[in-house]
Amino acid sequence: MHKRHNSSHIIPFILGGVVLYFISGMVDELRVYQGASIAVYVVAISSIILLTGYSGQVSLGNGALMAVGAYAAAVSHISWHIPIILSFFVAVLVAALAGALLGAAAARLSGPYLAGTTLALAIGLPSLANQFSILGGEQGLLFDVGFPPLSLGENFTQYKWFFWIAALAALIMMWLLQNILQSRYGRTWRAGRGNEVAAQLAGINTGRSKILAFTLSAGLAGLAGAMLSMTIGTVSPSAFPLALSFSLMTGAVLSGITTLGGVIIGAVVLVAIPEIADVVAHRLGSSESVTTNLPGLIVSGLLILTVLFVPNGPVEQHRARKARHEAEHNSSKK
Amino acid sequence: MKAMNRRKLITASAVLAIVGLAATAIPAQAAEVGVSSTQIKLGMTLPMTGTASLGYNKIPGAAKAYFDYLNANGGIYGRKITLVVKDDRYVPTEAVSKTNELILKDKVMALMAPLGTANVKAVASSVNPARRGVPVLFVNTGFSGFADAKKYPTTYAVLPSYVMEAKIMGQYINENFAGKKIGLLYQDDDFGSDALAGFKTAGTKFAVTVPYASGSQAAATAAGWITKFKAAEADVVILFGVTSASLYMLATAAQLKYAPQWMIGSVGGDATTLKLAGVPAGVLYNAIGFSPVPATTDMKDEYVKFFSDIYAKAVPGSAFDLNVLLGMNSAFMTAQALKAAGQNPTRKSLMAAIDSKGATFANSALVPLGYSATSHVGLTGYWVGKFSPTGDLAPIGGTYVAYTTDSGSGAVVKSTYKRPAMPAKGLPN
Repeated sequence: MHKRHNSSHIIPFILGGVVLYFISGMVDELRVYQGASIAVYVVAISSIILLTGYSGQVSLGNGALMAVGAYAAAVSHISWHIPIILSFFVAVLVAALAGALLGAAAARLSGPYLAGTTLALAIGLPSLANQFSILGGEQGLLFDVGFPPLSLGENFTQYKWFFWIAALAALIMMWLLQNILQSRYGRTWRAGRGNEVAAQLAGINTGRSKILAFTLSAGLAGLAGAMLSMTIGTVSPSAFPLALSFSLMTGAVLSGITTLGGVIIGAVVLVAIPEIADVVAHRLGSSESVTTNLPGLIVSGLLILTVLFVPNGPVEQHRARKARHEAEHNSSKK
Repeated sequence: MKAMNRRKLITASAVLAIVGLAATAIPAQAAEVGVSSTQIKLGMTLPMTGTASLGYNKIPGAAKAYFDYLNANGGIYGRKITLVVKDDRYVPTEAVSKTNELILKDKVMALMAPLGTANVKAVASSVNPARRGVPVLFVNTGFSGFADAKKYPTTYAVLPSYVMEAKIMGQYINENFAGKKIGLLYQDDDFGSDALAGFKTAGTKFAVTVPYASGSQAAATAAGWITKFKAAEADVVILFGVTSASLYMLATAAQLKYAPQWMIGSVGGDATTLKLAGVPAGVLYNAIGFSPVPATTDMKDEYVKFFSDIYAKAVPGSAFDLNVLLGMNSAFMTAQALKAAGQNPTRKSLMAAIDSKGATFANSALVPLGYSATSHVGLTGYWVGKFSPTGDLAPIGGTYVAYTTDSGSGAVVKSTYKRPAMPAKGLPN
């Protein structure tokens, strides 16, 4: 119908980048840091949306693949002195490779079995780092992207530098992903998700298509892991706890798991909720146990409300309503 | 038409985002950050929820109990101390973002007692308090690296290091258990490798060493550990792990009636916590234990009496344990540092005060502090005690015998340190 539906233009992403550039110059350092965290979550959540929402494989092991990417980036930078920019590519490649191996196994599993396998991975993999001295044990490794170039001025903060790198990576990834999802591959994934037998009858090799989805999703997760490590300056097993995988899943559900468009919602929610909870608890003057448990309560509440009222996420719901509205409009015209 | 709408939506949300974010930006302050005419603001991050929070989540309450007492008694030159506490769930990412909030939003003057090696390290690298000139007082980890004043110029250690503890344990073994078969349970990470380094310096020879991966502690695993110690016929078994490791080990040993001479490290050796979690007092009886501060049940000790009285009033019904005592001890030292920083304390004068006077700060520990212009080393040793029939750590023969050493190759020596009397009413001089 419209050309926009077939391929995603790069212009909105460039515009988005320009807007972010101006915002980053206007807000204080804390907001810039939070912006960088949001960019990290955007990439991490879109990796889940690709895997679960589009190709229909439920994975709880995203945190583990992020850890793989983060360690790959840090080790390649520290031990092999690879330039920092390339280490992000190494993160993507190594995590994608791990994802391909995992995907080959995962393609034989589905539903709760796949969830269980990936869950075990999320629990076990990060603590493996304790077994190899090159990975730095419990304290982890330093992952320092270095100071911003001097040409950006003396008042250019470290966090603004993180934000620029993270936001740029997120924008590029979103653009790439948007295009992949609208391509033949995106359609085969959705076909396989909808009805595997029907997809096979239509000539789709669903096993291979699942492995491809797993590989791409793992590569994205690896990038997110390297970005996360950049923002905290270190890579350590405790940075990738099981809770991370779960909160990313929560972010994906809040975003609307079957649409990439809402990914920013989930990412903002994950960053903003603790702060909102803090303000609320402060206003109420409540006790420590309330303050510390409020973020969890708010996130769970939101999750339940999302599942009850907008099961496909706010963005999908909005589109569906619009489509319905247009259909009614058209039929009334007739 | 559709494209137009979308473009409008993007523009509208961008404008909204800019306005919203700009509105929340806070103007810069003029005087020293975190210090007003009426208050001094400090910040703390530590696990308050989640599995790692057990025991540690009592620290903020303990520190606040002391600060409230101090505030009610005139504060520091009339200023009241406010402590802002944030939950990091023992995750480095959280520790970084919460510390950012403390420094950039809450605008605290200094950070106090952050907990966990990986967390403190991540904060040092990303938030970089050193570059911002923010003091990090009395970190709650025994990792010896944080005492390195060159690498972490604004960070001050307080706990004795794991290396020091292992060296003192090794010395005790040489003197008391020569010729016995020694077994060691340790965590298979930096915590454990610090321990192994200390034992190596002390010349301890092990009949068997059993490493465990952090997070693998469980009753069934503990039964496996016991099999290994039994097979090696260990006479003395050292538990150099976290509380849950000691807990499963001792509880399982009680069931299996396995009773070697136990030696329990300070990290996983708080009797109050172990007993509350179900370790029978009889199992702890006669075990050797280590601590830098007096026994928490020793009400004859003026500090223990003073701190436990304040704590009982501030947090009724909560047991006074080692975490509480250490938390209040750090709060007391922080108060003295702030007082020593002068009438109008700044971040710089606060750190200068610890460098010049920190070694003489009054506190409950039975070993000296190591602060100086070039050293950020905190407490420098442990006293050795035995668990009583009621399962409480008590000095052998009724008198505290303490040892001091360093994190390097220095000798372990019997401490001659005489702790000065507590300042009047437990307020900074």
